[in-house]
Amino acid sequence: MNPPVSIFDRLWARHVIVADATGAGGEDLLFVDRNLVHEGGTFLAFDQMRGEGRQVLKPKQTLAVTDHYLPSTNRATAPGSIANAEIRRVVEALDHNAREFGIEHYGVHHPRQGIIHVIGPELGWTQPGLLITCCDSHTATHGALGALPIPIGQSNQLRHVLATQTIWQKKPKTMRISIEGTLPAQVSAKDVILSIIARIGIGGASGHAVEYAGSAIRALSMEGRMTLCNMSIEAGARIGMIAPDDTTYAYLHGRPFAPKDTDWDQALAYWRTLPSDADARFDRELSLNTSELAPMVSWGTSPEDSSPITGSVPDPASMADAEKRGRVQRALDYMKLAPGTPLAGINIDRVFIGSCTNARIEDLRAAAEVVKGRKAVIPAMVVPGSSAVKRQAESEGLDRIFLAAGFEWRDASCSMCGGSNGDTVAAGQRSASTTNRNFEGRQGPGALTHIMSPAMAAAAAVTGRLTDVRTL
Amino acid sequence: MQPFTTLTAIAAPLDIAKIDTGMIVPGRFQRLPRRPGHADYARVFLHDLRFDENEQPRAEFILNHAAYREAGILVTGPDFGCGSSREAAAYATLDSGVRALIGASFGDVYRGNCMQNGVLTIVLPAPVISGLMTQLKAAPGAAITVDLALQTVTAPDGSTHGFDIDATRKERLLKGLDDVGVTLQHLAQIETFEKQYRADMPWLASIL
Repeated sequence: MNPPVSIFDRLWARHVIVADATGAGGEDLLFVDRNLVHEGGTFLAFDQMRGEGRQVLKPKQTLAVTDHYLPSTNRATAPGSIANAEIRRVVEALDHNAREFGIEHYGVHHPRQGIIHVIGPELGWTQPGLLITCCDSHTATHGALGALPIPIGQSNQLRHVLATQTIWQKKPKTMRISIEGTLPAQVSAKDVILSIIARIGIGGASGHAVEYAGSAIRALSMEGRMTLCNMSIEAGARIGMIAPDDTTYAYLHGRPFAPKDTDWDQALAYWRTLPSDADARFDRELSLNTSELAPMVSWGTSPEDSSPITGSVPDPASMADAEKRGRVQRALDYMKLAPGTPLAGINIDRVFIGSCTNARIEDLRAAAEVVKGRKAVIPAMVVPGSSAVKRQAESEGLDRIFLAAGFEWRDASCSMCGGSNGDTVAAGQRSASTTNRNFEGRQGPGALTHIMSPAMAAAAAVTGRLTDVRTL
Repeated sequence: MQPFTTLTAIAAPLDIAKIDTGMIVPGRFQRLPRRPGHADYARVFLHDLRFDENEQPRAEFILNHAAYREAGILVTGPDFGCGSSREAAAYATLDSGVRALIGASFGDVYRGNCMQNGVLTIVLPAPVISGLMTQLKAAPGAAITVDLALQTVTAPDGSTHGFDIDATRKERLLKGLDDVGVTLQHLAQIETFEKQYRADMPWLASIL
């Protein structure tokens, strides 16, 4: 009888072509089922391949989509109308490179265009058991469907995957984060992952592949699972996964790239063999109690700087560890916040609802539920995660709710998450954002970012302050 | 890739925690082309820490001090290179002339990108890092020696510290081997694997 293994160990073993031969903890050569490419920085990989005269080995196993640099408004005339020449060049380069190297590309006017980590699952391109690489640190999103996701660099590592359909990787250790119980009202997947990161820190799961487990995880929708896995990297883990189950299969069935008919039956039988064995062992275990969980907001310049909305800005003077004290002081100076300030009530200048973390249909429904019948008192915008999410939201009338409340309703792109396309928060402005990173300058030089769930961001929009959505 | 064997270079103490890849290369610079042999990304390395909004060097920033102009090694605060996977961050590090980073912890993706581009990242225990910082601050411009074959770092005070490194990375750095070249030597194994894989999972064929 085989020893019990985790889903991660199972999938890793399934993809090893050449096992580490150094005998000293080196790297394995792994088979890549599918690879996703976006336009940000990837022109470097194609330039190098062109220079070397290399071809893409398996062009049908790579899918390209434009998301980071696309404008979120006036799309009809893009990319020609993109005013910034450097941005226009990056957008046009992917179109050109995809054509030259024979890769399918969902460009600006394609009905399937959207943020790469939104459209992968949405199209059924992402499936349980597949090893999926993407030149983006939020690739763990695809682990929500029981795939093995590996984020890669945008140039040298991408070039390697394109040229060989493989990747060299050292096997990480394993960590299971278990959450049992029922999530309290208005506590979303975003609040769960921010709680985890606040607890273990931005490097807390470094070197580990994380499996999220437990009844609270099983009860999450696919959208919630994607939000959770998406931010694994914010705890230092490049890989985050959730074992597939009936929720996963129901989500995938009928999607454009999902197997059909007898193929579906065969695939399903395989997928059911993937979840971790009951007595699988992990290098590390962490458990969270759902009763500890509350809606979260960040107060500093790292996702680990997050607290329940009922809390206050911490006081560095009370911190024993000198390094932590210095870092928190630097964060509060940047964020222009005084120690002891209650988080609820901090004035906000603008709201952004979007990104690969929180721009799926369920996220927009949660925000619309809060906004309905109210008015935004500060500038606020919604950028759906994909063109399909936008169409779905419009068919449900969510766009009319946002527009009636004074929100902008834009086109799918990464937009104000990292500001690559020029959608930025002005210096000194304080934003409530459903994104994944509140690093210094992430939303624009000098931008003061607070990250939170869609419902909490919506609550901030209608009050102009950080607000506990449960009190609204 | 340029081989990495031994390096003796001026080491700068970059004593700031959690410098993420967006600080190493701010997003707006990820659009820059990079030509072989031109070190095009040198000027954007840690750009907003090095330069003010008028593109003037910030006199107070450590890498702008005269003693560190030629620094080839950085001793870094914890979690250096956390955040986004942008490979531009590794390019900028290399283009700026830095061939080795020594810290208590690094962002995993950044670390991988560095190693594949010929920049050695070395993890040493936090107390050792803090000792190196103290020595370097006391003697600006002091050098550190890194010996990859022996897996040692020799501090300005002569003390030697061993470090661990993945065996695959070590071999490729020592020989300057490019991953693609190494992998293509395994092409027959890759094709055999794939044939069996597709036979085991026939449903994948219909949708590729």
